Amino acid sequence: MKRYRELIAERAFLLSALTSSAITVAILAFMVFMGLPLLKQGGLYQLLFKPWAPFQGSFGIYPMIIGTGAISLLSLLFAFPLSLGCSFLIGSIAPQSVSKWFRRLIELMTGIPTVIYGFVGVFLLVPIVRELFGSGSGLCILTAALVLGIMITPTMTLFFCDSFDRIPKAYLDAADALGASPVQKLLYVILPAAKHGMINGVILSLGRAVGDTLIALMLAGNSVRVAESVLEPARTLTAHIALVIAADYESPEFRSIFACGVVLYLFTMAVTFLVRYLTFSKDQTV
Amino acid sequence: MKKLSIISLALIVSVLLACSPAFSDSLAPFKSEKGLLKISGGTAHIPVMKEAAQQIMMANPEIQISIAGGGSGVGIKQVGEGLVDIGNSGRKATDEEIGRHQLKLYQWAIDGVAPVVNPQNKVKELSQSQLMDIFSGKLNNWKQLGGADRNINIYTRDEASGTRAVFWKKGLKKGPISSGAHVVVSNGAMKSAIAQDPYGIGYVSVGHIDEMVAPVALDGVVPTIQTVQDGTYKVARGLYSNTKGEPTGLTKKFIDFLYTDEGKKIIEKRGFIPAQ
Amino acid sequence: MRYRSLERLTIIFSWLTGLLLLSAVCLLLGYLFIKGYQSVNLTLVFGDASPLRAILLQERVFNGLFPAIVGTLVLVLLSVFWAIPIGMATGIYLAEYANPRTKRVLDAFFDVLSGIPSIVIGLFGFAFAVFLHKHYSDRIGPCLLISSIALSFLVLPYIIRTTQASLEGIPRETRLTALALGATKFQNIFLVLIPRSLTGIMSGIILAIGRCAEDTAVIMLTGAVASTGLPRSIFAQYEALPFYIYYISSQYADRAELMQGYGASIILILLCAALFSVAYGIRKGLTHFALYRP
Repeated sequence: MKRYRELIAERAFLLSALTSSAITVAILAFMVFMGLPLLKQGGLYQLLFKPWAPFQGSFGIYPMIIGTGAISLLSLLFAFPLSLGCSFLIGSIAPQSVSKWFRRLIELMTGIPTVIYGFVGVFLLVPIVRELFGSGSGLCILTAALVLGIMITPTMTLFFCDSFDRIPKAYLDAADALGASPVQKLLYVILPAAKHGMINGVILSLGRAVGDTLIALMLAGNSVRVAESVLEPARTLTAHIALVIAADYESPEFRSIFACGVVLYLFTMAVTFLVRYLTFSKDQTV
Repeated sequence: MKKLSIISLALIVSVLLACSPAFSDSLAPFKSEKGLLKISGGTAHIPVMKEAAQQIMMANPEIQISIAGGGSGVGIKQVGEGLVDIGNSGRKATDEEIGRHQLKLYQWAIDGVAPVVNPQNKVKELSQSQLMDIFSGKLNNWKQLGGADRNINIYTRDEASGTRAVFWKKGLKKGPISSGAHVVVSNGAMKSAIAQDPYGIGYVSVGHIDEMVAPVALDGVVPTIQTVQDGTYKVARGLYSNTKGEPTGLTKKFIDFLYTDEGKKIIEKRGFIPAQ
Repeated sequence: MRYRSLERLTIIFSWLTGLLLLSAVCLLLGYLFIKGYQSVNLTLVFGDASPLRAILLQERVFNGLFPAIVGTLVLVLLSVFWAIPIGMATGIYLAEYANPRTKRVLDAFFDVLSGIPSIVIGLFGFAFAVFLHKHYSDRIGPCLLISSIALSFLVLPYIIRTTQASLEGIPRETRLTALALGATKFQNIFLVLIPRSLTGIMSGIILAIGRCAEDTAVIMLTGAVASTGLPRSIFAQYEALPFYIYYISSQYADRAELMQGYGASIILILLCAALFSVAYGIRKGLTHFALYRP
């Protein structure tokens, strides 16, 4: 009886684990299944390199891929130095009491709803950007990237702090014994040792930036042309899904958003496996 | 004095008595109903739908009506697929759509689609060819039209929009819309986008125009509900509610309500012309 | 000397960035609260209805946020309700049963799952609902049930990871004591290991709750609508706070509606904070309860 119960429990746990992982596969399978007819019709080339002009029969998602790339990379450009400084502050520069308090604040910041960032962005930042640069509507790549940058900074900072924390204590003790100041310790011991972890943090943050929908949808203007400057509107893959979900179910428009889904999914996989690979190779070297 | 007040009181009571039967008459059919009614599609329709739904739900708490947007294309498709009971559209469903989904069309109002700018914008009149040049991107600075020296920010709607379809066909004579245009998802969103951008131009349902946005006269005709009604403003359209097959029960009663006096009052109040 | 100036620069840079981030947050929250605090009152939540009667479900609320707040709460509860059992069981399997190779493979799956953009999960939920509608039942469409299932996919990795991590963090001595005394593996897990790691698991659930309450991308595709009133069943569409904020920001009809958007934003922030503190409260009680179980 006891053994029987043990066995059932183990089977139940295994079943849950299999179910959870099946979800991961099912999402991809569904995307591919729904997007496949379009791929067969128009081919991958047309999808990835043509513009979006449904009335002319062209359903490419090329402008959205460029838009996603531009907005997320630019936001990384804002977030990286910010996160670096903040993690320095928490890691060693600020006094203990301040750093503890600051870290808690940053943890809380990760809980601010994305839609709030977007809401404040629309009414506060958009008019400022419009008047500051005197061109365009303010709904543009720059605005979206700025807000997105602020949004991913707490996450990236915490990733950095985590990789600082994982440094063997012996390293730090050695530096202390040699009489290093906190900044010296940070620059010459912690930073080189935490490099791998920080790269992982940047990659994961890029994943978050690419995956965000609301900020780009609310602030980037959603035009379907490839923007020529950061003050022009653009559309991301995620916003495209949100906008075109409106279209009907069997049309090529609707099929093409599954292609967007597949692209985003594959990107997620690439990020995950890159991080895993880096972590793995780091484990080998240390 | 006392007499006067009594007379006026009697007057008020009689007016109330005269009115209330009409009110309850419109809503009476809902008394025996209960259940859920799902509506989606055309975004120009939403204010009317919301108010009608509120009156019906107030009169009978057993009824629940949910209202979503999405655009005319979505409305037609969702009602065709049976995902909603009523699919609204701001354009007439095509023969192909009617045939494929066995749609029943109910046009309950007349509306127009008007180009709009921010009230601060000095440009309040355009010819149709100027309008076409703006939307195609040929004219790109307000200075060329006598306004401020700023780029023109074009706002358009997504492909599922009936407002876009009508404006494109009648307002732009099927001319191109620049791919650099900002895309918004509803009439409401167009209105608030233009209200916020002093250098923007877009188009909304005439019924939605209020002090937040300024209509642009097209070839000398200011788009208002009057000019739409008398036929001088040409970019006109009907507002439709579509059902899959012959509507029954709550769905039928809701559509019937739009044709009652109370329904017509709501339609007029929201800036449209009730269909005869 | 070169090093000295680099060090000084680093210090200045760090404090500057810290200040910058701090001011950005203050600007964000300050703007919201200063613009919106006036609109936060009972009318914002209950419209013209009487609050007591509305809460007792005797009166409907039309121009207030009450349906959206209730919608969000129900949604969060449902999603977490789906996600907790399967997430915890998976976490337990990973930590206690899986062999290293299985673990590596499963780990990869959950890493991918946690990285999938929420809009993609929303798209999956929507397409799945349409699929079910076409092939199984007319009653199913985008609705509360579909939304909560899709959201539970979104937060599953949080619960799996925290369960796994806190179980793995238990020292060997604790792990072996009960086993040495003759307890079975299952008894050991449920009576010793899980009570010990409840704090960690609860932190994952808290994260999951917060994520469910704030997510907009999933629900905008799977059944949240602008106007419907209180959800009557899990097959009905519903209103939700984050969706309402998104809706208002893009299409407010007048100043009053815009102010409602500000009010809704403040309420959402407060709601997230409240959810977190309630979850912290439960955490304490639960830990005690589970630890001192007779």
